[in-house]
Amino acid sequence: MKKKNIKALVIQNLILLIPFILYGVFKNGYLIYERGLINFASIFKPLYLIIISIFIKCIIDLILYRKIKFDYNLLSLVLVAMIMPYNINLLVYTITLLFTYLISLFLNKKFKLNTVCFIYLITVLVNSLMYSFTYQNILESTFNYNFSYFDLLMGRNIGGIASTSIFFCLIIYIYLTNNIYYKKNIPLAINITYLFLALIFFLITKNNNYLLNSELLFGSIFISTLPLSSPYRRLSQIFYGIFIGLVAFIVAVCFNSTISIYIATMVASLFVNIPLYEIINNKKLKNLS
Amino acid sequence: MHVVKIKENPNVFITNNIYNYLDPEKIYIPIMQEALYKKNDYLYKDTKFLLYNTSISGYITGEKKVYYNKLLVPALEITNDFKENIKSKRRKKNITNKDELIQVLEEYNLIEVAQKIKDLNQIKNLIISSIDDEIYDAKEFIILANYDEEILETIEFLQKVLEVNKATIVTKNTNAKSIKNVKSIIGTYPNIKINLVSDNYLIGYPRFLCEYLNIKEEDTLLISTSLIYDIYQILKGKSILNNIITISGDNVEKSLIINTKLGVSLKELIAKFINIIDKDYEIYLNGYLKGIKIKKIEDIIITREINTIVINKKSKEVEEDCINCGACQRICPLNINVKYCYFHNLNSPKCISCGLCNYICPANLKLKETVKSDQNEKEKY
Repeated sequence: MKKKNIKALVIQNLILLIPFILYGVFKNGYLIYERGLINFASIFKPLYLIIISIFIKCIIDLILYRKIKFDYNLLSLVLVAMIMPYNINLLVYTITLLFTYLISLFLNKKFKLNTVCFIYLITVLVNSLMYSFTYQNILESTFNYNFSYFDLLMGRNIGGIASTSIFFCLIIYIYLTNNIYYKKNIPLAINITYLFLALIFFLITKNNNYLLNSELLFGSIFISTLPLSSPYRRLSQIFYGIFIGLVAFIVAVCFNSTISIYIATMVASLFVNIPLYEIINNKKLKNLS
Repeated sequence: MHVVKIKENPNVFITNNIYNYLDPEKIYIPIMQEALYKKNDYLYKDTKFLLYNTSISGYITGEKKVYYNKLLVPALEITNDFKENIKSKRRKKNITNKDELIQVLEEYNLIEVAQKIKDLNQIKNLIISSIDDEIYDAKEFIILANYDEEILETIEFLQKVLEVNKATIVTKNTNAKSIKNVKSIIGTYPNIKINLVSDNYLIGYPRFLCEYLNIKEEDTLLISTSLIYDIYQILKGKSILNNIITISGDNVEKSLIINTKLGVSLKELIAKFINIIDKDYEIYLNGYLKGIKIKKIEDIIITREINTIVINKKSKEVEEDCINCGACQRICPLNINVKYCYFHNLNSPKCISCGLCNYICPANLKLKETVKSDQNEKEKY
């Protein structure tokens, strides 16, 4: 076992995201360009979003700390870019990201909010207020597809711009389970809870729309496990995961399945701020004395 | 998770030989109460003191404050006359039973092992641990490799006195030289076995070793090879006036095992034997993980409690804010909520000061120093 510092952990996570970004460029760039629906420069839209995120992070760091920090905020902003809908307007994205990131920096001094979910939800809200957009890319909204489960597994689902590959999610999760810094119980609890509920729902209603949710898998592996806004004890991780799985399923059925994991994680991260362990422990100490 | 594989620096290589430093110019004897001796008094070798006997003969030339058990205490400075004068020679010990053994061990200040034997009603397993848990430490392994016959002879003697049928030498499977040496002569000792364990950190910790060997800790006497070698010396009528220590780390040209007199100044020892590569360095006493980082070496003397000196290049890592990753708790072999203890300034009596929390922390927080049990200073958790 080798020690890693925060910078190494962030870099490791960024490297693990590269396959998703490449697949995002393929699915939301090359495939559309091939049909002549976008120009060549638009192939790299996922990269533009990521570059904007990194640029904003660097500028704010330079203003606030006089140096660029390799911290989890960098990873969070890259993740925000990757889960954005394809139709997001780059200018609106830049402005909302700048402001929401500044707000989240201020809020995180007092609360352990999940930065990714906070920025994502506000950006999506602002965008949906300004114009109507869907989570489908041009290809998905133009043609009707009849994808097999295998296609969906490889990442042809409707979702974020670079976050839809279930195959990569599974491979990377298996790799991350050997990492002592990774909270592996959280994705496990989220996905088991969600799948269990989706299966029951399928048995009752014969509706299989919720069985394969790539966004849930990606969000649970990379976003719900962001260290600052998630619990670190094993049992707390399991409860946190079950709670997210439950809320995500309810939101998916009642509102939108793409956005469900982010709403659920945001709500759960609010509960992490309640120091349950301290309360229980203080009671124990009082009883002892 | 009890045992952990720690990635060591491959450039740190410890030689198999033991170097001797038996003619120091000065030694220091800590005195915990008012001294019976004054300046210019002559002291014979092996003169009795509370903590350890004088390892040389010579005159008292002054007083100095030195560290003993993390406390700064006054010590007598004895200048060597290089004559090794002994007032009365010790005789070979003829021990026939458990009580006599306990008495002799107490006489030689081996209180801990004497107490352990006293506490055990019936010893079913005699385990001789030749495991160096700490990274950059090779003391136990080198002792077994160099004094294999003496160790086996003493084990056989202990088996007889303590009425234990079977004894097991446990060593790491990477200690090729000691395994080879012991295996070549173990055939003449039918009741002694050798058991190889994997090269993991904390495998030598008594509780975890017993778990690994699937034996009960309550009826097991676990002794290190260095202690067995001390007992051998006692049986042969010699005093324990030396200590074998490892000096290694990534900032020394050559890592060494040194057999030195007790009471020698660490500064003198390092100056004599060790070539330090980079002038910007840090020293850890008794290991990089379990030990403590010391600020200056001037006041440190070699006592029986010191096993390892690690000299590493000065770390450039700085303390950062906790990222709540929980790795400290996950790696803790006793599952202590390290982060909670750290932020509430609590300590845990369960803590064994293994240092894994400090090692793994990506924010470089000094967790061990807070969590380890120090019941006088902090609230008990």
